[in-house]
Amino acid sequence: MEILLSTIVAGLLFGMVLAMVALGLTIIFGVMDIVNFAHGEFLMIGMYTGLLTAKATGLDPLFMMPVAAGVGFLLGVLCYVGFIKFLLRGPMIAQLLGTFGLMLLLRNLALLIFGSEDRALHHGILVGQSFDIGMGVIIPATKLAAAALSVVSFLGVWLLMNRTKLGKALTATALNAQGARYMGIPTERMNALAWGIGVGTVTVAGALIVNFWSVNPFIGLLFTMIAFAIVALGGFGSVPGAFFAALVVGMITEIPGFWDFMTYTFELDWMANVPMTSLKYMWVYLAYFVIMVVRPRGLFGWKH
Amino acid sequence: MKKVLKCTLFVLGLVLILGLIVPSGALAERVIKIGVIYPLTGGAAAAGRELRAGAELAAEIANTAMTTIDMSMARNAGIKSLGGAKIKLIFKDHEGNPTLGADLAKKLILDDKVDGILGCYFSSVTKTVSAVAEQHGIPMINGTSTSPPLTQRGFKWFWRTTPHDKWFTKDLFELLKGLTEGKVKGVKAVAKKDLINIASACEKTEWGSNVSLMIQSWAKEYGYNVRKSMLYAKESPDLSSEVRSLKAARPGVMLFASYTSDAILMVKTLKAQKVKTNVIWGQDAGFEKPEFRNTLRDSIVGILTRTVFLPKVAELKKVAGQVNALYKLKTGNDLGGASARAFTGLQTWVHVLEKAASTKPTDIQRAANAIYIPGDELVVPWAGIKFSTSGDEIGQNVLGGGLIGQYQKGPDGKIGLEIVYPFDVASANMIYPFQQF
Amino acid sequence: MEALKNALDFSDFPRIDLTVAGLVLIFLLAFPVLGFSSFAMATMIQFLMFSLYGMGWNTIGGYGGQVDLGKAQYVGIGAYTTAVMLIRWDIPFWVSMPVGVCLAVGWSFIIGYPLFRLKGHYFAIATIATSLVLKDLFEVWNFVGAARGLEISPIKFHPPDFLHLIFKEDVYYFYILLGFFLLGIFYINWFRKSRLGFQLRCIKDNEDVARSLGINVHWAKIKTYAIATSFVSVVGSFHACYIKNIEPEDTMSLTISILIALMAMLGGAGSLWGPIIGAGILIPLKSYLKEWLGATVGLVGIDIIIYALIIMLVSAFEPRGVWGIIEKLRRRKRN
Repeated sequence: MEILLSTIVAGLLFGMVLAMVALGLTIIFGVMDIVNFAHGEFLMIGMYTGLLTAKATGLDPLFMMPVAAGVGFLLGVLCYVGFIKFLLRGPMIAQLLGTFGLMLLLRNLALLIFGSEDRALHHGILVGQSFDIGMGVIIPATKLAAAALSVVSFLGVWLLMNRTKLGKALTATALNAQGARYMGIPTERMNALAWGIGVGTVTVAGALIVNFWSVNPFIGLLFTMIAFAIVALGGFGSVPGAFFAALVVGMITEIPGFWDFMTYTFELDWMANVPMTSLKYMWVYLAYFVIMVVRPRGLFGWKH
Repeated sequence: MKKVLKCTLFVLGLVLILGLIVPSGALAERVIKIGVIYPLTGGAAAAGRELRAGAELAAEIANTAMTTIDMSMARNAGIKSLGGAKIKLIFKDHEGNPTLGADLAKKLILDDKVDGILGCYFSSVTKTVSAVAEQHGIPMINGTSTSPPLTQRGFKWFWRTTPHDKWFTKDLFELLKGLTEGKVKGVKAVAKKDLINIASACEKTEWGSNVSLMIQSWAKEYGYNVRKSMLYAKESPDLSSEVRSLKAARPGVMLFASYTSDAILMVKTLKAQKVKTNVIWGQDAGFEKPEFRNTLRDSIVGILTRTVFLPKVAELKKVAGQVNALYKLKTGNDLGGASARAFTGLQTWVHVLEKAASTKPTDIQRAANAIYIPGDELVVPWAGIKFSTSGDEIGQNVLGGGLIGQYQKGPDGKIGLEIVYPFDVASANMIYPFQQF
Repeated sequence: MEALKNALDFSDFPRIDLTVAGLVLIFLLAFPVLGFSSFAMATMIQFLMFSLYGMGWNTIGGYGGQVDLGKAQYVGIGAYTTAVMLIRWDIPFWVSMPVGVCLAVGWSFIIGYPLFRLKGHYFAIATIATSLVLKDLFEVWNFVGAARGLEISPIKFHPPDFLHLIFKEDVYYFYILLGFFLLGIFYINWFRKSRLGFQLRCIKDNEDVARSLGINVHWAKIKTYAIATSFVSVVGSFHACYIKNIEPEDTMSLTISILIALMAMLGGAGSLWGPIIGAGILIPLKSYLKEWLGATVGLVGIDIIIYALIIMLVSAFEPRGVWGIIEKLRRRKRN
């Protein structure tokens, strides 16, 4: 019972961290049909921003999150104005490959500037802390903070999209860009804004998780793939869908640990022989594939 | 105008005739080209930089006479038996990609016409590069790849100076055996039941899965029980599920084969989940990197790692100290496991060439098979270098040995590695059991 | 017979295209005797391999407009089939290659059926997902060496071994691959004029119209997917004999999938010459940028930065690739 509880808690927490990472992707997709291969690289940049500014100023890395948000927003707008705007005219394949090029560029720029060494934070109030809340449930402080931030930002984005004029304009751009233009909505600016917010949220996520993870220029791709699976699973462009899908994915990644717990509790040899851990991410992709085949628009999709 | 033209033509003609009469080799100093393939960019670029510096330092020492170093290759400039020929290293970057490695090997052999190859750090790349070298009959010496199957392929043009994971893993089990028998410095004999359950987590790569297999086979031989042996996806964003699995197995000994980012995350997660165990051992790689130590600080006190070179060795071995001083002058860092072995790899090349007294591949082959370098020539703490020429392992150095170090807090509050195995060179008392998180 | 005639009939291309193609062909045939370095040879083999991958991808991705980013799984199936059969049972390449194609096509039918229910981005990401699932499965499957991979030991054969395709010199590999390359061109030339080819282009333009014309859209896509798969699988088998070492991480990586699509797109998807032009530009560019700049100390990764910038420029300003530029120039000239 205890282990079940702690597995669920760990799964939900990791799910919320993933949700935070995927949020930016879903905002960008919601407003314009573009899947961004460079998403994980923005996370990496956020991580470096948090790490380096914290090291340079000696302040707690938590205070660096607004800096990361600013850097991310500017970077996002810059990427849109300088590059993505042109991509949008082309077919989908050109968009995918263009953002793949962006990914290669950002990754190798980071390699050029920061070097390939793994770097990690050495100070900060969240670094290395964890709470034991009884019942065998142990919560690392970083993940708890990330989860809390994730919930807050999802609520914020949801409110922005549904309760404000700006959000309505963004949604209108998403539904019918041409129509929105006729209504006097500056769609170009809306798109740039979506990129700014999207990239900003992911760099904040990066600045937060650098409290727990170490960073190197190659860290992005796996996050990108998982974020893809989450956003598609939730239905492209659906903010609550992405949150829910991220929780599902978080739970799936905890399956191997639970499986092994059962193995050793009941001493079942056949269970011990299944390489569950090696297949950890396969379950995520498989779940994505199966759910998509059953429901081709994703769990909460409204757009195709 | 016409005169100038005539003069030029005359000079050109003279040069041409001279060039034809005098063989080009006689004028220029003779050079021996060694192709060196390392991961200079990509994820392992930091290791590549160390490897490159190690090999370059060895070439420098071989090419100039240095009286301050007690090594036979430092005594004269160049290869004496080849008329003082200089070693020239041609570096290539494989990015950790085996296919690219094979292409580069072909380029080195066919275009650059190298006399031999040194490399390649990643076992998977060494595999493809050595296959190309074997096909073309060009000798290759490997100093840093530790995957056991590399020397079990019956290749005739491939030699490996470093001990491989089979022997490194055996060292670990010797240490565990020593613990139960009370041989370890500063530790009373431990009941075997405290250590009998083993859990291992290795990264899901060529290297990691071979380490995992080695752990299983030695555990069987030494009578230990591998409760859990998992392969996890490397560069993982989260290891909480993996750690939960390890925890569920309730192991007395935890073994890891991980690179830096995973090693750091693994120890952080172990700590966050308050895992209890008696011994934690890492198979070099990430567990030896400075970033591992700088990030985790006090929480790694008591963690063991297998290694081939520690700064402690430089204190114990005179020649290692001398080379270390030069290396520090050149790069600002101490020699590490990677650079010391790269250095030794090229040093072996120098000795082989000296003995062969020729650059013909077959002469080099004969020399390599007969070479013996005594241990006091080497920076690494080995008994020497001598390659096996028969049995299941061809071309493997049989005199190599590993060290097991333990992170301990020194009197100055700094965390450093102390030698705990082999028992006779132990530099400090071992901390047992592992301080609980 | 009719099909053969169609395959060999290039008369609908302008004369200039055919002249250039002929010159390139002569260059390719004579390439080994022109005295280039072995590095150029290795680059050339990479070029031919990626042209063939790209031609395969072009059927479903170019003519059919379905963005497939999961071709690496079929590279893996082909390569593993050949390597396993060669290592375990000493079966020659010429037998194991068709077996690999059969297995790959079989697998493509199994996953193609559900896969083509998806559209657009959902489809693209699902192809990535299936490829990664298969890669993970190969990484734990002990029969095929799991994550340790498989190695074809060069010392067990006596090169040149035409049966098992084990050679010492690259020139043999080059000519065999060139043979496949020409066959590939003929096949695609037939394909683009075949019934399926026309159906596909119709599907690409408007799926609903295609359906109303009585085309079985789902089935046409699955069939084309299988054709693309067999191209990739053949080259995968070749890859196993050429590199002699396969590992899931190397052979089935996402990067391979993306590169395949990238070559075809950059050259011009949906045209016969597109993938060849794409591979002909990108492969030498990458190799030589690396050769010139890659090992420069202090500027780690600068070669890939330049490479990435070129990809970005082309995808932003000429999404139809180099072939799109050529066609644009022609149209301007005509007007």
